[in-house]
Amino acid sequence: MAEEAKKIKRPRGTARLIPGKCIACGARCETECPKDAIKMNEKGEPIIDLEKCTRCQRCLKICPVQAIEIYYTPEEQKILDELAKQKAAAPATALEAEVVDPRLAKLREYKGVWVFTEHTEGKPAEVSWELLGVGADLAKVRNVELCSLVVGDNVEHLVNEAFAYGASKVYLVDDPVFHYYRTESYYKCLCYLIEKYKPEIVLIGATGLGRDLAGAVATRLQTGLTADCTGLSIDDKGFLLQTRPAFGGNIMATILTEYTRPQMSTVRPHVMPLPARDASRQGTIVRERVPVQEEEIAAKVLEIIADENLDSVDVAAADIIVSGGRGMCNAENYKILQELANELGGVVACSRAAVEAGWMPLERQVGQTGKTVRPKIYFAVGISGAIQHLVGMQDSDTIIAINRDKSAPIFEVATYGIVGDLFQVIPAITNYVREMRAKKAGKAVAS
Amino acid sequence: MTSTVIAFIIVLVLAIAFFFYSCYRRFGLILKGKPDNRFDSLFRRFWNMLYYAFGQRRVVKKPFGINHFVLFWAFMILLISNTEFLLNGLAPDVISFARLPDGAYFTLMCIFDIMSVLALLAVILAIIRRLTFPPPYTEAKSRDAFIILGLVAGLMIAYFGMNASEIAAGTERAASYMPISNFGASLISSGTPASTLDTAVQVFWWFHAFILLSFLNYLPYSKHMHVLTSIPNCFFKSLEKVRTQSREEFKKGNTFGIGQVENFTWKGLFDSYACTECGRCSDNCPATFTKKPLQPRLLIHDIKVNLLENAGKDGHAELPLIGSGGEGSVAEEVIWECTTCGACMEVCPVFIEHVPRIVDMRRHLVEMKAKFPEELLTLFENMEQRSNPWGIAPADRVKWAADINVRPFEKDKTEYLFYVGCAGAFDARNRRTTLSLAKILDKSGVTWGTLGRDEMCCGDSLRRLGNEYVFDRMAKANIKTFTDKGVKKIITQCPHCYSTLKNDYRQYSADFEVVHHTEFINGLIQDGRLKLNSAKDFSSIIFHDSCYLGRYNGLYDAPRQVIAFATGKAPVEMERHRDKGFCCGAGGGRMWMEEKEGTLINVARVEEALAKKPDAICVCCPYCMTMFDDGLKDKEAADKVQVLDLAEIVAKALPD
Repeated sequence: MAEEAKKIKRPRGTARLIPGKCIACGARCETECPKDAIKMNEKGEPIIDLEKCTRCQRCLKICPVQAIEIYYTPEEQKILDELAKQKAAAPATALEAEVVDPRLAKLREYKGVWVFTEHTEGKPAEVSWELLGVGADLAKVRNVELCSLVVGDNVEHLVNEAFAYGASKVYLVDDPVFHYYRTESYYKCLCYLIEKYKPEIVLIGATGLGRDLAGAVATRLQTGLTADCTGLSIDDKGFLLQTRPAFGGNIMATILTEYTRPQMSTVRPHVMPLPARDASRQGTIVRERVPVQEEEIAAKVLEIIADENLDSVDVAAADIIVSGGRGMCNAENYKILQELANELGGVVACSRAAVEAGWMPLERQVGQTGKTVRPKIYFAVGISGAIQHLVGMQDSDTIIAINRDKSAPIFEVATYGIVGDLFQVIPAITNYVREMRAKKAGKAVAS
Repeated sequence: MTSTVIAFIIVLVLAIAFFFYSCYRRFGLILKGKPDNRFDSLFRRFWNMLYYAFGQRRVVKKPFGINHFVLFWAFMILLISNTEFLLNGLAPDVISFARLPDGAYFTLMCIFDIMSVLALLAVILAIIRRLTFPPPYTEAKSRDAFIILGLVAGLMIAYFGMNASEIAAGTERAASYMPISNFGASLISSGTPASTLDTAVQVFWWFHAFILLSFLNYLPYSKHMHVLTSIPNCFFKSLEKVRTQSREEFKKGNTFGIGQVENFTWKGLFDSYACTECGRCSDNCPATFTKKPLQPRLLIHDIKVNLLENAGKDGHAELPLIGSGGEGSVAEEVIWECTTCGACMEVCPVFIEHVPRIVDMRRHLVEMKAKFPEELLTLFENMEQRSNPWGIAPADRVKWAADINVRPFEKDKTEYLFYVGCAGAFDARNRRTTLSLAKILDKSGVTWGTLGRDEMCCGDSLRRLGNEYVFDRMAKANIKTFTDKGVKKIITQCPHCYSTLKNDYRQYSADFEVVHHTEFINGLIQDGRLKLNSAKDFSSIIFHDSCYLGRYNGLYDAPRQVIAFATGKAPVEMERHRDKGFCCGAGGGRMWMEEKEGTLINVARVEEALAKKPDAICVCCPYCMTMFDDGLKDKEAADKVQVLDLAEIVAKALPD
């Protein structure tokens, strides 16, 4: 009986448009069709060429309003029902008969979540630890290991840091050839390890270095890469859902890497929260020797020339910024901002006007032609909020604006606005913070 | 044939041969340039040449230009006399004006005599000017200048010497019609023997011939090459005002922009030869005025130097065209300083096209080298990804209209598309202008609508900054949107959008009627369709000409008429106004760049405005608005003087 059933040819049916359902979404089915069997009519509705159609059903899946169906004639439907009955009767056989996409089968070999640890001569980039945080969630859902990838020269100390931020395994490549970052050496190293250990997900920070590296690796491995993700999660089939803004930020696109592995994403710094550090955590270290020879690398780093103008304070990385504008009147007055910043553990920044007036260095400038910042708290002091400035700071978590002019545009983006003389308001805030801290310290001593 | 004639033939043939050889060497280089059709509409071109070159229209706009006018025309007329002089030298008995009938001969000799003295006076004035109150650049006092002036003066003196000696010898029958030569003759004592006078004639004749031929041969090697090139340059001048830059073809294997001198069009190279180094471009350049390294005069000169330096070195330029720190002829910083305000092109007496050359070089830096001031990276990214300079979410484009009712543009139902522009939509200050304009449009009775969040940036800054590839895409996308939506008439609030939609998009065969709000409001007023109460809040409004409104599109009167109508008083004029208007400093993409060199352009302009003690400054451009706002704050004058857009002034005068 079972043998006989196998002989019955499964009817293919006919792909067809359900009249009136098409919304002329813009030829998604036409684009999706691998056989070019779909052409659009002038109304933007699909015409399906059944000669070419293989019934792969991809158009059905892509259609946002389910306007395409596979139609079976009554006879075909009968056969189908018969088959379904057989399947119910002999589930084991049916399972065997189920066609598994060979492309998908291969993907099952890939396991584990990897996070690339970025560092500059041993000094880690914080984004790597942030990615271990989101990586841990992904690994938990997939029930796989969270691994960190440490590549460099004398970078053993990063291993314990990686464990402290949540990695359970670290692949360590410690070789002088990796002393400086060079695209060629690093991407070859990553490709080698990925091909050897087959991780399913690889996360890299969307920094200058990370963007360079991720692109090279993904190209070499012929896999998908989603840049600048703002959200990462796992769907019920186990795919990595990579969310990022698209079309100029008007929509959020969720991107899947369906048929290739690993699934690669980059995430900008400060997008993911930094996980709690626990120095007591331990893990496995896998030491690897990667066959990358110095002679093979065309690029040589002769010398690193540090930017002499580089301010010791990195405004973009600060959590609290006290920023002053034209309203500060002179360079001397920035002292009161520095006092407040000191009390709060923040840094002082400024608007373009202050740089042009020569009160502050260019490196501290926030805005269109300066730095883009998104601190936890941004004080805009004596800054009217010209658009050039706003675009550099409007994504800050909390904006506190202090300005004499109550119609200043800065108040449109401010969380809290204080209309008043900054020379009275700022010292008052500083004093208050100082008192609060003293009180707290007093309490701590008392208890 | 006398020995003198034989000697002269040899000298003349050598001199002319060498002159032609020099010309061949110089002008041969021009042919290396890329093709550019400047041979169409020959009659119009011929007229341009007559009007601008022979009429010296632009030269005489400066008081001292009169001197040049005199010299030019003396030179033209004496060209006849000198041609006769050379031919007469070859065939003394055959070709001579002396063979003409008395009347014609006397008239000619009289004219030549007067023209020669005028030329001599003009040259002496020019020498005195250079020695006492020279133009504000050192090369005006160069050896080159004095050599040429000396040669011209010598030529005139030889001419008078020759004629005076002849008159004294009694061999000149037109003596009484040659006042100056006659006066010269009277200085020669009457007892001088005939043989001495004859020798004097011979000596002056040879002296004259020698100077004339030296002058001819010196021309191609000096800045006075313009004697040969400026007249043709007026012939080859762009038939239309230069309002934009040429398109580029994006095909595989092409190079983009200009990084090597021979990649300029032949006209671009010819421009550098035509430069008279008069310095008017630099005098009017906002970058030069604020002590920045860019001087348009030097830029054009540097192109010429580079061309000559690399002559004969096909393909392997020894001296790069662009390079910093003296490595190339034109420094990169210089290329980025330009605000594309067009003041240089407006005053150039020989119609050199400075701005397109600068944009060509920017294109090379952006498209081939990816080398540009780092601030521009953000701009380019934002433009490409979000179609606005700040990278704000496109959905926010409609926020300016949150409190009013604005209809979308509808095909066949709406007459005018109000193209708000990025600044008008996103910038808080300029949104107030947008709202004022919306109010005026509502009162005007026309049907109007916007594209809402589907509006995209026009791409002006990108094009001026040399990012032609992205501009090209944006222009095509915008034109498609307009065409699909059935847009025929467009009102803009920003002169940059205006000029881009009107002039730049025309290169893409786009045919929309584009009006700037100044033009539109003025039209409504003139037709009596907009009734205004007089806005009496201002005692004196000073008007600032936007470059892309005035110089680029000739809208000088419309805004002034509107101000006069809305306030009952004509606006106060800046020191530099109308076609001499001084840029606010934000054009040509400078809005998005730091102003690191020299002093601030906007502050210079604000100071100029404040000198007239206005209580309001009227602008017609969102960039000017920002620059004046900032400048007034810098000068701590923001409490006393306000900046208003023309639309805001009109809106204040609208009856409720």
